[in-house]
Amino acid sequence: MKTRLIALVAGLFVLGMVLAACAPVATPTPEEIAEAEPESVEITLWTKEGEADGGLQFVQSLVDAYTEIHPNVTFELVNKDVETLREDFLTAGLAGAMPDLLWTVNDHAGPFTDAGLIMSVDDLFDLDMYVESALAAAQLDGKTWGVPISNGNHLMLLYNKGLIESAPATTDELIAAGQELTTSDQYGLVYNQTEPFWLVPWLGGFGGKVFADDGKTPTLNTDAMIETLQFLYDIKYTSPIVPAESDYDGADALFKEGKAAMIINGDWSLGGYREVLGDDLGVARIPEVVGGEWPHPYTSGVYFMIPDGIEGAKLEAIVDFIHFVTSANNQALMVAKLNRLPALEAALDDPLITNDPLLKGSADQMVVGAPMPTVTEMRCNWDGMKPEMQAVLADTKTPEDAAAAMQTAAETCIANLE
Amino acid sequence: MEFLTWEVVLNALGEVGSTVLYIFAGTVLLELFVYFLWTPLRALSRRVDGWLDPLGDRLRHLVATVLMAVVVVFAVRAIAVGQTPSPWAPYWPLTVVVFGLGLFISPNALNIFQSELRLAYMLLAPAVVGLLLLVVFPLLWELNVSLTNLNPRHFQSPDYIGLTNYLEVFTKPVLKQVTFFPVLLRTILWTAVNLLFHVTGGMILALLLNRKMRFKGLYRALLVFPWAIPQPIAVLAWRGEFHFEYGFVNIMLQRLGLPAIQWMTDPTWNFIAMSITNIWLGIPFMMVILLGGLQSIAGDYYEAAELDGASAWQQFWGVTVPLLRPVLTPAVILGTVWTFTNFNVPFFINQNELETSDTLVTALFRSAFQYFNLGDAAAFAFVIFGLLLVFSVLYIRVTGGLKGAYE
Repeated sequence: MKTRLIALVAGLFVLGMVLAACAPVATPTPEEIAEAEPESVEITLWTKEGEADGGLQFVQSLVDAYTEIHPNVTFELVNKDVETLREDFLTAGLAGAMPDLLWTVNDHAGPFTDAGLIMSVDDLFDLDMYVESALAAAQLDGKTWGVPISNGNHLMLLYNKGLIESAPATTDELIAAGQELTTSDQYGLVYNQTEPFWLVPWLGGFGGKVFADDGKTPTLNTDAMIETLQFLYDIKYTSPIVPAESDYDGADALFKEGKAAMIINGDWSLGGYREVLGDDLGVARIPEVVGGEWPHPYTSGVYFMIPDGIEGAKLEAIVDFIHFVTSANNQALMVAKLNRLPALEAALDDPLITNDPLLKGSADQMVVGAPMPTVTEMRCNWDGMKPEMQAVLADTKTPEDAAAAMQTAAETCIANLE
Repeated sequence: MEFLTWEVVLNALGEVGSTVLYIFAGTVLLELFVYFLWTPLRALSRRVDGWLDPLGDRLRHLVATVLMAVVVVFAVRAIAVGQTPSPWAPYWPLTVVVFGLGLFISPNALNIFQSELRLAYMLLAPAVVGLLLLVVFPLLWELNVSLTNLNPRHFQSPDYIGLTNYLEVFTKPVLKQVTFFPVLLRTILWTAVNLLFHVTGGMILALLLNRKMRFKGLYRALLVFPWAIPQPIAVLAWRGEFHFEYGFVNIMLQRLGLPAIQWMTDPTWNFIAMSITNIWLGIPFMMVILLGGLQSIAGDYYEAAELDGASAWQQFWGVTVPLLRPVLTPAVILGTVWTFTNFNVPFFINQNELETSDTLVTALFRSAFQYFNLGDAAAFAFVIFGLLLVFSVLYIRVTGGLKGAYE
């Protein structure tokens, strides 16, 4: 009885697998459809741009404009948060159902090239026309893995002129001004206290770096890191100028409501704040560390990345679309709409930028920025820093212990990569 | 934005529809095969039995078992490499041939076709196929992945590394710094705390509701409300209420003159926030189950107890609790498994990804779908599966919960 049942089960199992193996053959993949009619191409574009700051609307307008000129090329535009985009793209890579084009941040180049999911763009484009520093943030192993759309993505100090006349130039001034401005329902400074992306500028200000010179050995347990953590602790507990708890949205809301005089946020947020605060919005460098340097926020940018295996008419259409988006006209349009610095060298001299105080401030901050590492090891550094930074800010760990724990965590994580 | 165009909707419907059609056609084929080939196969099996008789049952069993083992190995390998072209691909037809040989050599296998239960087998076949495809197949694939180093560095062509992943589940940090056993202990603590409050809270509410009063139905409906909201929505709403600046909880605390709490960054408070949310979510279930149990206890017992001079407290422990046990035990077991494996609450309330708030299940999810250490995660999943399996088997042994199903 039992043997029979097992035999039956095993038999059906094999039959089921044979059926399962046959099934996909019958479904034509989008590529095949595209090949059958070379004239029409449908491009699935995943973008990290969201609706809140008008980014998605901007991408949609570009896509619509392109389809108007080339009716044979249509787009399916999908918006995904930065992290979701990374996760979903890796999953899609495993399943073999990748989108056709990505519009995303530079640090995705590391994991995506590790997994072998994107192609290098060196042979497809004349990359000389793009800004050097923007290209540098998408280069790995001597190849370029993304075409830059915008340049920057860096943090800066934004202030509400209705509350504070001019931006503090040093950390001492920041604390002094901040304490004056901090009342029961208002804060001197707000920033996203949960992400180490907001920690690294200060680390640079105290003279530290997250990697040794080889670019992949973590150097997190350093005096500079301890001083940085101590500084973040001090502006929260010793001379409080920041809220007891605030994530990105919390900080953003406080600044927009006029309940925070200053915020440290990225160039992506300029457009949104300009809309709310108008002429009251000021842009400056993050204040210089007393006894240290100007903080070095990470610079990178937003990039097109092309999944591996795209070819033929689709690839041609994609290359043409990328040229379209990074043309001088559309770069200027991006500057106007999103207040981001262009990646096209020729577009940098546009009076739109040189005459705009906010963009001038943004460009001024970028000068002291540091290109964000692209290697996959950086992910380990972020993951190592995040919980420890939060622990110091929650007053559950000393900066010394936290820095040591960051280093151990990053090293373990890197060992686990293999 | 207008992303959900008719075209997209129709495409999606078409995909789902064609999948359903495939399954339907497969089932029909299978039924036709069994129905029409029954008689010839039966005759054939008798003849083959006659030929192979001299070999002896024991030898035939042995050979058949070996061949079936080969089939399983082939099948697993074939599934494993199915996603990428590989030299294993031609093994598909061979697998089928080996399987057929095994079937014919086995002394009893072909008796399926002679059995009087064939109608039963036929009717079961579609369900068996479904289970194989949806449960057994993924499980075998997962087993296979757990033996590889599939991670972002070895994405397209993972290597087999034996049982290393299983060892590393216990020796290496699960995600960043915390190792397996602290996470396990935390998960057990989480389960125990939640269950304690679920049962106590549920019991108190059930006792309050189990008497004559006005608007009883209304109260019951209101109390069951948390259970009726989709969990992720309820949890996200709670997360909003734990917001430092704008959340209800902190605003109330400050109105009462207490300091605001850092619910999202302080590890202890985050764990408490998780627990509060889950207790709120879990009490209605216990209340409904216990109320049902209470209503089935006859009033005579209490009358008798009262005559004997028992206090209300004594009645509760002497009458209510023992008589509730048949209802309470399965409810507690279900609650344990649900809380242990609860994903929504620990995942969504832990907005800052504090490692100190991760339970086994959320750690597993992060390991697989945020870090993409898929090999590690597969081994990890089997370890969790093993834990719950041991728990279930022990429970069934101790309570005899499945007795009814066997007899």
